[in-house]
Amino acid sequence: MRNPECCEVMTPHEQRLYDKMEGKEDRYRAGHRRVFTILESFEGLRPRIDVERARYFTRSMRVTEGQPLVLRWAKAMLHVAENITVYIDDHQLLAGRAGAQGRYGILYPELDGDFLGLAIEDLPKRTESPFTITPEDARVVVEEIAPFWKGRTYHEHLNMALPPEVHKLTYDDPDGLHSRFIVNETSSFRSSIQWVHDYEKVLRMGFGGLKQEALDKLATLDPLSPADNCEKRPFLEAVTIVCDAVITWARRHAALAREKAAAETSPARKAELLAMADICDRVPEHPARTFREAVQSQWFTQMFSRMEQKTGTIVSNGRMDQYFYPLYAKDMAEGTLTEDEALELIECMWVGMAQFIDLYISPTGGAFNEGYAHWEAVTVGGQTPEGSDATNDLTYLFLKSKREFPLHYPDLAARIHSRAPERYLWEVAETIKDGSGFPKLINDEEIIPLYVSKGATFEEAYDYAVSGCTEARMPNRDTYTSGGAYINFAAALEMVLYNGRMKKYGEADLGEHTGDPRGFKTWDDLWNAYVAQHTLFLKTAFMQQHIINNLRARHFAQPMGSTLHDLCMKHCLDLHTPQIPEGINLGYFEYIGYGTVVDSLAALKKVVFEDGALTMAQVIEALECNFEGREDVRQMLRNAPCYGNNDEYADAIARDIDRLSVEYGVRYSRDLGMHNDVRYVPFTSHVPFGKVVSATPNGRKAWTPLSDGSSASHGADVNGPTAVLLSNFHSKNYGQRARAARMVNLKFTPKCLEGDDGTQKLVSFIRTFCDLKLWHVQFNVINRETLLAAQRDPEKYRNLIVRIAGYSAYFVDLSPDLQNDLIARTEHGTM
Amino acid sequence: MTAKDDSPATGIVFNIQKYSVHDGPGIRTVVFLKGCPLRCDWCSNPESQAKRIQLAYNRGRCLGLSECVRCVEMCLSGAISRGEDDRIVIDRALCVECTRDCTSVCPSNALITYGGRRTVADVLRTVEQDSPFYARSGGGMTLSGGEPLLQADFALALLREARKRRIGAAVETCGHVDWNVLDEACALSRTLLFDLKHMDPARHEAGTGVSNALIIENFLRVMEHHPRLHVMVRTPVIPGFNDAEGDIAAILAFLAPYPRVEYHLLPYHRLGTQKYHFLGREAPMGEARLDEARMSGLLRLVAARGGGDA
Repeated sequence: MRNPECCEVMTPHEQRLYDKMEGKEDRYRAGHRRVFTILESFEGLRPRIDVERARYFTRSMRVTEGQPLVLRWAKAMLHVAENITVYIDDHQLLAGRAGAQGRYGILYPELDGDFLGLAIEDLPKRTESPFTITPEDARVVVEEIAPFWKGRTYHEHLNMALPPEVHKLTYDDPDGLHSRFIVNETSSFRSSIQWVHDYEKVLRMGFGGLKQEALDKLATLDPLSPADNCEKRPFLEAVTIVCDAVITWARRHAALAREKAAAETSPARKAELLAMADICDRVPEHPARTFREAVQSQWFTQMFSRMEQKTGTIVSNGRMDQYFYPLYAKDMAEGTLTEDEALELIECMWVGMAQFIDLYISPTGGAFNEGYAHWEAVTVGGQTPEGSDATNDLTYLFLKSKREFPLHYPDLAARIHSRAPERYLWEVAETIKDGSGFPKLINDEEIIPLYVSKGATFEEAYDYAVSGCTEARMPNRDTYTSGGAYINFAAALEMVLYNGRMKKYGEADLGEHTGDPRGFKTWDDLWNAYVAQHTLFLKTAFMQQHIINNLRARHFAQPMGSTLHDLCMKHCLDLHTPQIPEGINLGYFEYIGYGTVVDSLAALKKVVFEDGALTMAQVIEALECNFEGREDVRQMLRNAPCYGNNDEYADAIARDIDRLSVEYGVRYSRDLGMHNDVRYVPFTSHVPFGKVVSATPNGRKAWTPLSDGSSASHGADVNGPTAVLLSNFHSKNYGQRARAARMVNLKFTPKCLEGDDGTQKLVSFIRTFCDLKLWHVQFNVINRETLLAAQRDPEKYRNLIVRIAGYSAYFVDLSPDLQNDLIARTEHGTM
Repeated sequence: MTAKDDSPATGIVFNIQKYSVHDGPGIRTVVFLKGCPLRCDWCSNPESQAKRIQLAYNRGRCLGLSECVRCVEMCLSGAISRGEDDRIVIDRALCVECTRDCTSVCPSNALITYGGRRTVADVLRTVEQDSPFYARSGGGMTLSGGEPLLQADFALALLREARKRRIGAAVETCGHVDWNVLDEACALSRTLLFDLKHMDPARHEAGTGVSNALIIENFLRVMEHHPRLHVMVRTPVIPGFNDAEGDIAAILAFLAPYPRVEYHLLPYHRLGTQKYHFLGREAPMGEARLDEARMSGLLRLVAARGGGDA
């Protein structure tokens, strides 16, 4: 069947959707029968909330009050491990779930349990990413879990700790239940920012070996030292307990597998279950000896990590093609593993990931992560710690899996460096062309020198792993876990226009009093007013962060995460400790609305202060009525130079704005004992942030989404994708190091990537991206018509995957707002 | 002898398009020059035909006379007047090149000019912005039109300046040009995109307004005098003009002695239709569409030749 006539070329991803509508079997199903069967068992199910983790965690925390936090946490995890229901799913080869079968999310009441009452009522009803809960579980939450945490949660303490001038730009109500979406704190909807564990250590030592390391250290403590006894001893005891917890949990799966095997009638499945039982007895306690053991060991570790704490966007998978490779190569050489078996096993892991949902119970958290977003990034490619190219057979296997397996988990991230082999880039390009938006590309040539300049060794920097959406982590050197501020700089611009106020918040006196803009005589007057509001926001964000950095350590511990970190073990400190000796604290704050602000300032500079075609009074009058009846003014403003077109007029303003942030970061990060660097990666938050900002001078209507990441405003980039990359290049301050990730989204029609010639041109494009030292780029290869059709008929397009802001999601899971936002983005095609 | 400084030379350019991936090797920037000796009914760039700067009006973008009368007030020649349906009417006979700038007062870009006078330096500055992409992809600048070689001095100056800056150049020509100009353009380019529309002189003249005699002659001269030049021949496949198997087979037969030549078919599309309307013209092809099955048959014919796409 042909696509609607307008689409000349379909991506394989689109072709599969049409096949499915026609009732044809997916062309890859035959080769992946097991995982397709598992996938079909939960596809389209609404996620449910599982309360067991929260229940057992709470029960333990109730009886350990007053003890060192890390020790309490380890005991709580042991209690969870001993009591939580364990599952082995039909057809699955891997054991280990953190909750009920189907798609599920779990609760972390220690974080923001004050929202629980509200959430239980609200979550099944909310339009963005709804959840279900059974009446019995709802009762457990309301009667058992929530009452204990009342007055004890991190979120409540943070709400009380913020000084009034910070609070008023952070929260919209005295209890801090609703964000202002101005200087938004993100530490209260995740216990840690994105993270990568050193999984290689688990495979090499096992939790038995890690426990022994702690026992050895305990034996060397000075028995008379108060510090050793009061600080190091509880930490090391916590390590031994949490290692026992992981091992206990794994062994319960072994027992269950044997039980199931005894009852199993199919001899083939019985054999599988018995083999699983043997593996679960062995790992993760002991070092992995085979590829199968390695995958199971890693899976137990990451699932246990989910129960230990809420890592923002879920803990990432690290450099999987590196740490699995030695055992993969050994098994392949010995003939005990085939490529198909290896593929099936890792795909069993992908379907497991797909079932775990990153549940946000606060309205703000939900708004930030639409489409049940999570990013357990799997990193492939890049360089070895010695600086050689790191691609291997497993790299190509992961790329193949992504082309053949129709799922948006895991989030595949391909590291690109200047000497990346042609085959690697070719297969990366072919995978992108498949149309599901994977892999995203992360640039070694930007990240490695930057991390070295921030204190890493070359070996550490070469070995970074992609973490979460766009970040890069050095799992034994990074020590920063606090969520940073998401700052709505479009609100700063609005405060320039209304002398410190915003339409959304009426008479509330929020910003600096920069004067009536109708009195501005020159561009400098306007610019200086923006700088004043911008600086106020930065000051607020940095104060917020100072309080957050210190408060979090009193609320959160992660004994398992700390066990896996060299520096935590060396200094006997939990990873949430604000300052860990030798650590590098790589934090960031988010610039939201970059394109919106740049284009607005450029429009005012050009149309008002240079051409004199409009006065400030005329512009403000048009903005105040949301351009109703003033479409002429809106059009004049829209036609001014815009960011994203490689136009120096707009890019110079973009660079100046970036410099404001970078220079503030350099000056005041020291107070915080961290690198608090500017980043341009919005998740989906440019949508809720846009909802508080009235009409802006770039012609944007009130309450509509802001520009996302470091991408251009919607439809503003009319010069094609090369210009988008070059605008990014020209708006960066390469002379400074105080910068973090920048996200760039590009959408291509399949037509311009058609055939081998199209692949070759995409490879060249990627190499140029690498040359330009841009941090990140990702591609959406889709026809606009497909998106519109999906919007009209969501049932038919249930499995349409689109790339939004750092991840791929099912298009139909997104709110109409975000769907429109995607459709509105400029499509880069040349006919 | 000192090289001539080409940078101040000027010509009329109507578009510069970045990230062009279908007009020569690699990632390219296409510079569109105004003016064409042919008048093809199917032309998808009708704004390219006349050499002079032209006024264009996009009714859909116009805010309407009830919102804005800036252009009416600006025009002194009487070319722009109030129409009956809240939109303006343009009398193109009265519209002459004048100093009144009706387009820059238009807030919504409904009124624009096709074409602007630009210097070689200015064009190359824009082209050179994408040089990191050319370096990786083997791309560069493509001169297109219209017929770029109609503005001979300007086109050759652009090519010389590109060579000076080591930017690989391609020229897209209809072939109906002065041989001396084409000869020099070939010497300054890496790739020549040469259109062959029909082998029959009468049919060619009926479709394009000119015979193919000069075109064929020029093609043969290129083959003879530029043996190392990368040449891509292209045929726009037009319903009712050259979409019969025999039409394409004749071109293939003509090309048979030149295996070094790549050959591509470009299926007719209607995307240029609206631009006719902007110029106050009707699209000569009307609603005609290319038959898909027919096009597939032609692509198979070309594939059998080897070389080129399809």
